[in-house]
Order: sequence, then structure tokens, then C-alpha cells
Amino acid sequence: MRLPTLFLLLALLPGAAGAQPLASPLHDDDIPRILAFGPWPPAPVRDPSNRVSGQPAAIAFGATLFHDPRLSHDGSLSCASCHHPARAFSDGLPRAQGLQPGIRNTPGLANVSQQRWFGWDGANDSLWAQSLRPLLDAREMGGSLPQLARTLCSQPDLREGYRKAFGQAPGVDDERVAVDAAKALAAYQETLLTPRTPFDDFRDAVARGDRAAAAAYPAAAQRGLALFLGRGRCHVCHGGPTFSNGEFSDIGMPFFIAKGQVDPGRHGGIQALQRSRYNLLGPFNDDAARSSATGTRHVLLEHRHFGEFKVPGLRNLARTAPYMHDGSLKDLREVLRHYSELDENRLHADGEAILVPLRLSEAETEDLLAFLDSLNEAPAPRQ
Amino acid sequence: MRRLLPLAVGLLASGSALACGETLGAGAQRIDSAQFQLAYKPTPTPIPVGQHFAIDFVLCPRDGAALPAEVRVDATMPEHKHGMNYRPSVVSRGAGAYRAEGLMFHMPGRWELVFELRGSGAPLRLTQSLQVG
Repeated sequence: MRLPTLFLLLALLPGAAGAQPLASPLHDDDIPRILAFGPWPPAPVRDPSNRVSGQPAAIAFGATLFHDPRLSHDGSLSCASCHHPARAFSDGLPRAQGLQPGIRNTPGLANVSQQRWFGWDGANDSLWAQSLRPLLDAREMGGSLPQLARTLCSQPDLREGYRKAFGQAPGVDDERVAVDAAKALAAYQETLLTPRTPFDDFRDAVARGDRAAAAAYPAAAQRGLALFLGRGRCHVCHGGPTFSNGEFSDIGMPFFIAKGQVDPGRHGGIQALQRSRYNLLGPFNDDAARSSATGTRHVLLEHRHFGEFKVPGLRNLARTAPYMHDGSLKDLREVLRHYSELDENRLHADGEAILVPLRLSEAETEDLLAFLDSLNEAPAPRQ
Repeated sequence: MRRLLPLAVGLLASGSALACGETLGAGAQRIDSAQFQLAYKPTPTPIPVGQHFAIDFVLCPRDGAALPAEVRVDATMPEHKHGMNYRPSVVSRGAGAYRAEGLMFHMPGRWELVFELRGSGAPLRLTQSLQVG
């Protein structure tokens, strides 16, 4: 039995949205789900597959490399060229633009350390392997292992940064030097966490039973949260502290790139992962016990993974428009319209069976936007 | 007295059943079939959503049934019409004890856990419904 007790009381507390009786549909049995969205920030955890994870010298070297265009083939692009710090480490474009046009949206890097799989298709199982990929991809930075190693060995500042990070000068093995550069890049990106949000204050107030503090959470956001947990069932995929289960889903987005060309999504990602020599089962994992390779060892390739893409986290979402793997939805209102008017005929035959058009009213859309706004570090300008 | 007899038989059966999987300690769950009782215990417990977990389990044959040549473990979400994104590995530890690794329930909701016992005949499926998250 659902008892609308705690939150109705919260809503009626003096100072809560004008103290008007609110038809808050949040219930006591929503509390465990609300608590599961935290705590935030998460406790620091070092990546066992990366021997310099969490080490200050590696973080500093990684930050330098992240902004250094000398790592690209023609010296024109750095990681930050597409992952702008001012844009939550995304680029604001529908699809990435490296040395050549890309086929997917540039994901923001905030909270990337909390992920299990990396990239829209999860083709990499570590942040360092994912960091190596764009360095070598002809469409992105277009480099090569020898070119990267040569740059790191020949440029005095980079050579010194490497020595400080890894305790020795770069060796003669080009591949290992390049992978080490990727591990320094990963160490830096692990530090990119979004700040606390109004939702976190609400969640923690609920956790400690502080009704007065919880009542400060806006009524519209409460209604949006109730919809997120209730009829929307959004939390089924967008669960946990990052608001993502870290897995993949087919939500009816198109996967045609051009005439006759499709983006296979997770299906192609698993195949790429399994043939990569940089996966966690390979020789570059610094965790000799391979304790971090459980997912890689057991990941399953099935037909249903075709057209699935990573479930993105929702923190600081307002700063990473446009949305979806192909960047085809320009703002959050369009994203909500997608779920509201979901084309069930388009959904993959093996797709997520619980997805149904939400048929959101304008008021419900506004409430969901208010909830999503509360996941930003500061109220975002309404789109 | 006639009414008490079935109860006594039931208690005896129950007492016998409790012996299966004693090594798993407190909190072990049990599934019964005509040929086997299966006791299992996930690690960690309770099963977290979105994290890998393992299952230690013990198969106790009834009435002289032989242990299966192969045991598979899987799980599905019937309402969602999909299973896990991972294929668990199962290792025999001898004497009917096994460990399955690599499971993950990536969504909250109702999962059906399946132990499939494969021998010379048709596979036997022992299932249990679990509410997660």
C-alpha cells in the first residue's frame, strides 16, 4: 500500500512553496529509490587497471596532455577541442567534429570515472583505453602509436611530465608509452566530478529525516521526481548516483547514419571491445589479478544489442545539449517529447519492452524539466 | 491424529531439507524439485542493482539422483522480455557445490533466476522469482 505521508507533510510545512496543499504524489515507498540516487559526491575509488590512477603527478600530466594539440596528427586538435571545459567537457555540436566529421554526439566527461563502459557503444572497458581511442582515430586526432611516442619523448616538457608521473623517462616501446599517456589522461578525467545539486540537498535531507530541509525542494521538482519514479519509470534505466545504470538501451532513436549506413551501437561496441588488445583482459591492464575485468569476461553479445546506446547520466544535463547519441534532439523539451510520443513501431523488436509513449501533459513536461533542472549545480536557464 | 500426520511428515521433510547447503551459512535460499534441492546465496546480499554479483550454490540430489554433468545460471526480466547483459560462468567446487560469477541485474524490478541442470535427459530448470531494488 502506498501511503502519501512523509512528502505530503513536507509539502505542507511552512515555507514550502507558499504552504499551499500540494498534490505531491511522492510516497514513503519512493524513499529507497530516492536514496539510491546518492550519496553525492561519491567516495574516491582508484582504478586498479591504471597504476597512476589518483596520483597527483599523473593527474597534472594528464591535464597538460588533455589541452595539448601536439598529440594530434597535425598539431591542430587537443582533447579539449571537442571536450570544452566550459561546456561540461562536450562541444555543443550535434555530432563530433575532429579532423573529419564524426557520426556521434560528443559526450560530456563529467563523472566519467563512474562509468563501467565508455563511449556511446561501450567499446572500451576502461577510461584509459577510451582515452587512447580518439588519439588514434583518423576522424578525431588522427595520431599513431609511433607519432605519440615520438612526441612524448622529444618534447622536453612532455618528457619531464611523463617522468614525474611514471617515475621514469618514457621507454622504447611506443605502444606502452602511448598507453601510459592515455593512463595519465584517465587520471586527470577521473577528477572531473559535477558538484552537489539542489536534488542532493533534498536527497540527504530525506536520508536524515530532516523534513524542514527537504521541504525547501521546489514543489514542481517534487512532482517531476514523482513522475520520474512513477508513471515514467525513468529510474529503471536512469538509476543510481549518476542517474544511469551504466548499461545500454534502444529507446527508438534512429540508427541510420546515411543512406545504406547504420550505426550498430552496442552490438558493434561489444565486438570492438572483444577484439581490442587494450581491453581489461589484455596485456596493458595494471591489475594482475584482473579483478576489474569481470564485465569484460562475461559480457554477452546478442542480436538485441543492435541499436542500443549508452544510458547517459543526468547530472549537469543542461550543459551538454544537444542530446542523444546522434545529437539529434536540441534541448530537453525535445527529449521529453521523444518519450512522450515514442514510436512503438520504430522500437527494435528486441528493444526494451516496458517503453510506452508517456503522453505527457504540458504541466507534466514542466514538472519533469523542473526536476531535471534540480540535477544541475545551479538553476539552468530554461530552454 | 490423522490431521497431525501430514504435518509431522512435512516437518521431517523440512528438517531434512534444511541440511542442504548448510555450508552457505545464514541467509541461504532454497529451491525444491522432485529430483534436487538447491540452496544458494548471492554475494553481496542483498543483490545490488547495477553491480556484478556472484552466487554460491549447492545441489542436493534426492532419491539417488545423479549430479548433472553441467549447470548453467541465468536470469531474465519476464515483464521486460530480456535477460542480463552478461553470461555467468559456473565453476564446480566438488560435492555438488558451485560458484557462479559475472551476474548483474542492471535494472530494478522482478527477475527470474534460473539454474539449468543438464545431464543425459532433458534439462531441468530450477527457478526463483526475485524482486530487486
